[in-house]
Amino acid sequence: MSFVEFFGVTKAFGRTVAVEELNLDVRQGEFFSLLGPSGCGKSTTLRMLAGFIAPSTGAIHVHGRDITHLPPEGRDIGIVFQNYAIFPHMNVFDNIAFGLVERGEDRAIIKRKVDAALEQVGLSGYGERYERELSGGQKQRVALARLLVIEPEILLLDEPLSALDKKMREEMKFWIKNIQKSVGITTIYVTHDQSEALTMSDRIAVMNQGQVLQVGTPVEIYEHPNSRFIAEFIGESNLLSGRMGRDHVAIGDTAVPVSGAEGPTDAEVALLVRPEQIRLEPVFADEAPMLKGRVADEVYQGSLRRYLVETMGQRLTVEVPNRPDLAQLPPGADVSLYWRPESGVVLR
Amino acid sequence: MERRISLPMLILAIAGFAYMLFPIFVVVLAGLTAGEFLTFPPEGLSLRWIAAFLQSEKYLSAFFFSFRLALMTMVVATVLGTAAALFLSRTRMVGRNAMRAFFLSPVVLPGVVIGYSLFAFFIATNMGISRTIWGLWIGHILYSTPYVIGTVGAALAAYDVSLEEAARSLGASPWRAFRKVTLPNIGQGIQAGSIFAFIVSFGQFEVSLFLSAPNSEPLPIAMYNSLRYKFDPSAAAAGIFAITLVTASVLLTNRLVNIRRLLERQQD
Repeated sequence: MSFVEFFGVTKAFGRTVAVEELNLDVRQGEFFSLLGPSGCGKSTTLRMLAGFIAPSTGAIHVHGRDITHLPPEGRDIGIVFQNYAIFPHMNVFDNIAFGLVERGEDRAIIKRKVDAALEQVGLSGYGERYERELSGGQKQRVALARLLVIEPEILLLDEPLSALDKKMREEMKFWIKNIQKSVGITTIYVTHDQSEALTMSDRIAVMNQGQVLQVGTPVEIYEHPNSRFIAEFIGESNLLSGRMGRDHVAIGDTAVPVSGAEGPTDAEVALLVRPEQIRLEPVFADEAPMLKGRVADEVYQGSLRRYLVETMGQRLTVEVPNRPDLAQLPPGADVSLYWRPESGVVLR
Repeated sequence: MERRISLPMLILAIAGFAYMLFPIFVVVLAGLTAGEFLTFPPEGLSLRWIAAFLQSEKYLSAFFFSFRLALMTMVVATVLGTAAALFLSRTRMVGRNAMRAFFLSPVVLPGVVIGYSLFAFFIATNMGISRTIWGLWIGHILYSTPYVIGTVGAALAAYDVSLEEAARSLGASPWRAFRKVTLPNIGQGIQAGSIFAFIVSFGQFEVSLFLSAPNSEPLPIAMYNSLRYKFDPSAAAAGIFAITLVTASVLLTNRLVNIRRLLERQQD
């Protein structure tokens, strides 16, 4: 099952440790993302796998074979760079043919494969163009075609969408994912953009300060983050500080029920509740609400309204879809807040 | 790129260029004089001193000696300078800035100091190359290489190393990645640097003064020696040929390489 494996890989540049004791396990055919803020070591990890930098200690295996000391040209790994690295002195055809030429392929075969690759990425007829005549999205297609023709075992993508505008980014996200699925190539994708990682990945490794904090599917990472860092880095989050009880978290003098919490009671914890998991209702005089709060601020965002609500001495963000049957509450209004126990995640 | 230049700036620039180019203008006119002596303004115009230059064994051999020396210098300075620039751009070694300054120091040091030092060194070590073309060659290489390091360094600063990395991961060996991807992309800088090296060597005076042999003198030394004994306009005529050669190589460079773009890229 394991296809790409990192065993205790550490990389230090002088005194700075970029990656520390990294263990990773990527499966064959998987779309695997390395997600983290800039400087978290994700690009260093990718460059070690590509063979551009050598680990200080540890080993990297592909297919059970130790590739730690192989040069990049011996690895059968393709990489798409942030700026695509299209050779500016060659036209699109020669760019895509580069790897085949290096492999000493026959000219007729090269022609056939390059034409097929151009068609696959939707750039038929662009063979004569040069890099300066291509848009950002087209450059990316060329960069990908250049790799796909040599049929590498692994595809590495280093923040490939960050140089594109927003609309193009959305389009390319699905395009890359589709190509990856149809080719079935094991893909490792480096990004600092959580929405890219969530939409495209089969699994995500969240990194910070040179270490992997959590590996899991997008659902696991978003709904069950294992640390405050991930809870705050991925998506919008409310972190309520409280004290762990037997089946609840005590926030101030309110006991908020939680489900499936483990670990010692009576410890300081944070309770994560995502803004879209909370329901807001106006409070009527004769009602005893579950949690009582007061709207501090309201932001209109078109498809939804975002409320800042004060409750139990802390502030919560709540997202309410913009629908006539849901309450619209002016700042200052008393509200009650509801969420299901399983919507809360206890973070220690 | 269109830039608007204000009028006072324009006048200042023209005045500056005029001041710098005036001596060249003087030499060209003086070389075309009809009179017996090197005077300005010239006493009538004629090509007699040009003819004298072309018939002078001494000047012609000096001209071709300089030409040959400049070509030899260019070849070695280009190879060494390119290699040094590549090393400086890639290394993460401690002290690389000091090393760069050291490599470029021949440009800053007075030529007289370099010439004298080399002369003293050749004599003291008894290498047998003082006052031979080989010693002179070494001096010219020393003096010209920094110009190659500078221009190739500028080209490399604008060069994206990920191009070479992309070539490597597509299956190219280090040498093939360099030859097929890096070299074509820094080629303009190398061409410009090699032509600079040629020009610098061709016009070199101070280093040559110490290192050249009496029977094989580069053109600047021959002109200097000739003017010491007689105020003969043929030196100015020789100057015209030197100016023509240098101007031609600059124009050639400009055709091959967009120097302005190269310098602008360095500022990014």
